[in-house]
Amino acid sequence: MTTAAALAPLERDLATTGNRAWRRFRRHRLALFGIVAIVLMVLASIVGPWLIPFDQLKIDIRHRFAPPPWGGHLFGTDQLGRDLLVRLLMAGRISLAIGFLAMIVSTAFGTLVGITAGYYGGAIRIVLMRFVDAMLCFPSIFLLLILAAFIQPSVTTITLIIAATSWMEVARVVEAQVRSLRERDFILAAEMIGAPGRYVMFRELLPNAIGPIVVAATLTVARAVLMEAYVSFLGYGIQAPMASWGNMLNNAQQYLGSAPWLAIFPGLMITLSVASFNFVGDGLRDALDARFDVK
Amino acid sequence: MANFLLGRLLQSLVLLLIVSIIGFAVLHLAPGGPLSQFALVPGLSKEDLARIAHEMGLDRPLPVQYWEWLTRLVGGDWGRSYRDNQPVLAVIAGRLPATLELMGAAILISVFVGIWIGVMGAIRSYSLFDMLATVGAMVALSIPTFWFGLIVIYAFSVNLGWLPPGNRMTVGGDGSFLDYLHHLIAPALVLALVEVAIWSRYMRASMLDVINQDFIRTARAKGLPERTVLWHHALRNALLPMIALAGVEIPTLLGGALVTETVFTWPGMGRLLLDSLGYRDYPVIMGILMFSALLALLGNLLADIFAATADPRIRLT
Amino acid sequence: MSEDRRNETIPLLTSRRRLLALGASAGALAWAGPKMGWIPAAEAATPPSKPTGQAVIGLSQEPTVFMPLLAHIEVDEGVYFNLFSPLWRVDEKGEFQPDLVAEVPTLENGGISADGLEWHLKLNDKAKWHDGTPFTADDVKFNIELIQNPKFLAGRRSGIDLIQDIKILGPSELTFKLKSPYAPLPSIISWTFLVPKHLLEKAADFNKPEAFLANPVGTGAFKWVERVPGDHITLAASDAYHGKGPYLEKLIFKYVPDLTVLYTQFQTGDVDYIGIQGITPDHYEEAKSLADRVVTPVPQPFIENIAFNLGNPIFQDAAVREALYLAMDKQSIIEQIYYGLPSPTESFLPRQSWAFNPDLPKHAFDQEKARKLLDDAGWKPGADGVREKDGKRLEFTNSTTAGNHVREQAQQLLQQTWGDIGARMTIKNLPPAVMWGDYWNLSQFDTTMVGIDFMVGPDPDATQYFASTGIVAKGGAGNNTTQYANPDVDKLLADGAATVDIEKRKAAYVKMQELTRKDLPFLPIFQYAMVQGVKGKLEGFTPNVNVQENCWNACTWFWAS
Repeated sequence: MTTAAALAPLERDLATTGNRAWRRFRRHRLALFGIVAIVLMVLASIVGPWLIPFDQLKIDIRHRFAPPPWGGHLFGTDQLGRDLLVRLLMAGRISLAIGFLAMIVSTAFGTLVGITAGYYGGAIRIVLMRFVDAMLCFPSIFLLLILAAFIQPSVTTITLIIAATSWMEVARVVEAQVRSLRERDFILAAEMIGAPGRYVMFRELLPNAIGPIVVAATLTVARAVLMEAYVSFLGYGIQAPMASWGNMLNNAQQYLGSAPWLAIFPGLMITLSVASFNFVGDGLRDALDARFDVK
Repeated sequence: MANFLLGRLLQSLVLLLIVSIIGFAVLHLAPGGPLSQFALVPGLSKEDLARIAHEMGLDRPLPVQYWEWLTRLVGGDWGRSYRDNQPVLAVIAGRLPATLELMGAAILISVFVGIWIGVMGAIRSYSLFDMLATVGAMVALSIPTFWFGLIVIYAFSVNLGWLPPGNRMTVGGDGSFLDYLHHLIAPALVLALVEVAIWSRYMRASMLDVINQDFIRTARAKGLPERTVLWHHALRNALLPMIALAGVEIPTLLGGALVTETVFTWPGMGRLLLDSLGYRDYPVIMGILMFSALLALLGNLLADIFAATADPRIRLT
Repeated sequence: MSEDRRNETIPLLTSRRRLLALGASAGALAWAGPKMGWIPAAEAATPPSKPTGQAVIGLSQEPTVFMPLLAHIEVDEGVYFNLFSPLWRVDEKGEFQPDLVAEVPTLENGGISADGLEWHLKLNDKAKWHDGTPFTADDVKFNIELIQNPKFLAGRRSGIDLIQDIKILGPSELTFKLKSPYAPLPSIISWTFLVPKHLLEKAADFNKPEAFLANPVGTGAFKWVERVPGDHITLAASDAYHGKGPYLEKLIFKYVPDLTVLYTQFQTGDVDYIGIQGITPDHYEEAKSLADRVVTPVPQPFIENIAFNLGNPIFQDAAVREALYLAMDKQSIIEQIYYGLPSPTESFLPRQSWAFNPDLPKHAFDQEKARKLLDDAGWKPGADGVREKDGKRLEFTNSTTAGNHVREQAQQLLQQTWGDIGARMTIKNLPPAVMWGDYWNLSQFDTTMVGIDFMVGPDPDATQYFASTGIVAKGGAGNNTTQYANPDVDKLLADGAATVDIEKRKAAYVKMQELTRKDLPFLPIFQYAMVQGVKGKLEGFTPNVNVQENCWNACTWFWAS
């Protein structure tokens, strides 16, 4: 009998848990709103720019600061006369991509650290978790800024910097979860029948810790989008002419009085996307009944 | 208790050591350096630059530099700012009151407002108020602080003229308490927004937990007025976990203060960090890092001690 | 942040070269435009009999170095002008006015010998340090020797390092000799603020005179009160000032790091005067309409330009540089992005300089001509539209300080107009400490967008920037980061520096401007103008193109009653 077959009943059990979770999630109206908003934003960012008859980079210096909806520019034009709507959507690609990528990197890394620490315990756990604690001592914005101030900004570097400052929560959550699962029967069973450590970690422990990981990951996207905005606001963000919501906001603040729409739209987009991810994360948490906090 | 404290202190020291190594490595391995501010000074030859670098200790191997920095730190010497030649501790101490004032005001607002919203939300859970509070908190957590700050300035300072657009006090003014307060309102509210959201969420959860416990039912069964049950018995117990939160929230609050300070030209630590980053003022940056880590650890420790002394069920071992 | 050149602290370090607008006051007035009408009105009001009131000076950078001889940035000079004194100062007309001397030495009054080598100074015997100690010839000698001390981290040494044989003839009289004649010396002295010997000779480390930095003592119209780091510096009227004024009781330098916020505070009245980077161009129109505020564009000697790295093979082709210049929409940059405030230029010198060459060929935006030029030079468009020649693609980066929004807009416009002719430019902006470090000094960039004051003090000598000996990347000493090497230019620069005959000097620099215009080691865009604002009732403010900071005469500011 293979290990997998021995554990099949448990997996079935997990599947029903999943169904129940989905039912609970569906009842969570805010989370549904969040899902819809995220899907719409992603779709609009991907498809939208093709449907708009303006190029995001086409500068029309004589028509800068055209208020919406001047000459077909539904959201007006920016400080170089570019269509704001198309830039907002293109910026969405960048900001959301940074959000998702940073989430993937930080979740993967955090999970790895958490699972290793939780599974092996002992000295490994102490070293890894002390490192996590150390990283959490810094206000993340301090760490973020220090890194950003020294590294040439690009989508890759910003993503990595954000990931580098957001993996710790995941690691903590996963470590706690794994540590509690570690002593459960099915893990002990797997170990008893001689499953290698790697197998236990990634085939047994990981699937069972997936709930909290998904919740943490969702919240990390929200955080990453916000962090990109902060870094850009403080002047260390994405390079022109590429647009991100953060750098659009950064560029717009000096025109807050004369062209407020330049600041209002990207600010709203950030708030909407971050709130959506937070809603979804919250809904997922309720659905999976994972007991940990919004942070 | 003493053992617990000692253990925690040792742990904290190890953490600080790790923090300092990370910080030091990141700062010194990155391109650019404090010399760039002198590089274009006419009349400074390459030899002059080399001498400045030597004086700053930048020409030695990194581990040596770190070791020297660390030994001096242990001896109480946090180094000197490259920028204005003042001792780092004095530089930080000069900025600390402003940041503490802002953080203190924000904590006061968030504790009172947050707790009230949280309790009300828990008492009338799933009411309209609760729903609005929940959505409101989530949105507040999602608004970029600086954007909110800019809009507050735009609305209340530029358009309405009710509040000053920044600064800690009227420049060259009489420095009266009212003047400070007037300047404090907007930044404190902006900084408190996120904290109110966090506090109300935690408070609601904590209160809900408590309300469903036996002793509350007992109290009700004894016929105590609902008011007394909720605001006396329940709240007191629900507040316990919140004490820990106050300690844990310190890094978040400090980070928020940095952004708020930037928007409101508040002369605190956040601004100091930004300015120091621009100048690559390593000693000050390291000082701020160590200081904020120290503050965070202290917050955690205090939170633990408070929680333990307040709740006999938690044993300090 | 939102401001223009806030992060550019490093290039500003070079700005201690300023122009001396000899006889150019008319030009300065014309620059100021219709708003200059307020100056006669100011002269009509009379200052109070004793110091009254206070003025809040809003600065977007923070003064931090209070020992004026140490390396510092231009914002520090605003404090120096009021706390310390030079031997003489330069007024808005470009004339020297005695300060710590009784009389400015000249050839005419015999203070300077005919060969320019022997100087005789008579000091103002009324001058006292703020602690009551009299100012004497010993102090002057101490300052000169400190600047010359190789261990001292002097902010500027050029000129002063030529002084030798200092002889003290009495408490208020001294003489010295120069190793060689040096025309810019009077201008350099006009910005050399003297520090007290009796306090600094005791300092353990003159590079870090802690006690002095914390509580500086000068001879200026205002004395030190306090500094609240990151916020403000307060000075109070000195009752023992040897010159005119002061009329204000307190002078406060308020640091507001964000130009937009600074402007808002000017609008709301928290700040009485906006200095250093002034009001951002986009707020100029609005600022002019503010009640009770006087807003004045003040010309600056900075020349905004695209600096090429001539070490890069594609820029060694003169046709490429010429074509890129033709494809620059200079007018849109100036009119639209900078709201028409700066003036287009073809030279590296500001138009107020006596050596300025007004007859250089005018730039025209002509993409057709640019394309033809590149075609003829063998740069053929490749499959993706980017031109190529001998396997090299016409592809390069352009860098400046990250976070400089207005300049970033100009970069994007250039990107478009250059893209149109088949030159692909990528924006690569860097944090200031990276940008102005080795990346700039050792010519590691492709092209840079930068505002440079090319002069040494008010003198048009641009040896640092254009002499082939100044290429640091090739082991030279200077700021020739474009790696420009032209033997004719080298010779003209040497000629210009060696003579004190102003006509000969002018001829050399006029010719040199023709050469840089032809060779285009940098593409000149415009000469900066900065919009400064003061409250209407604050009298006495006078823009002065010859100093680094327009608080230069705050000792004579006062509030009209």
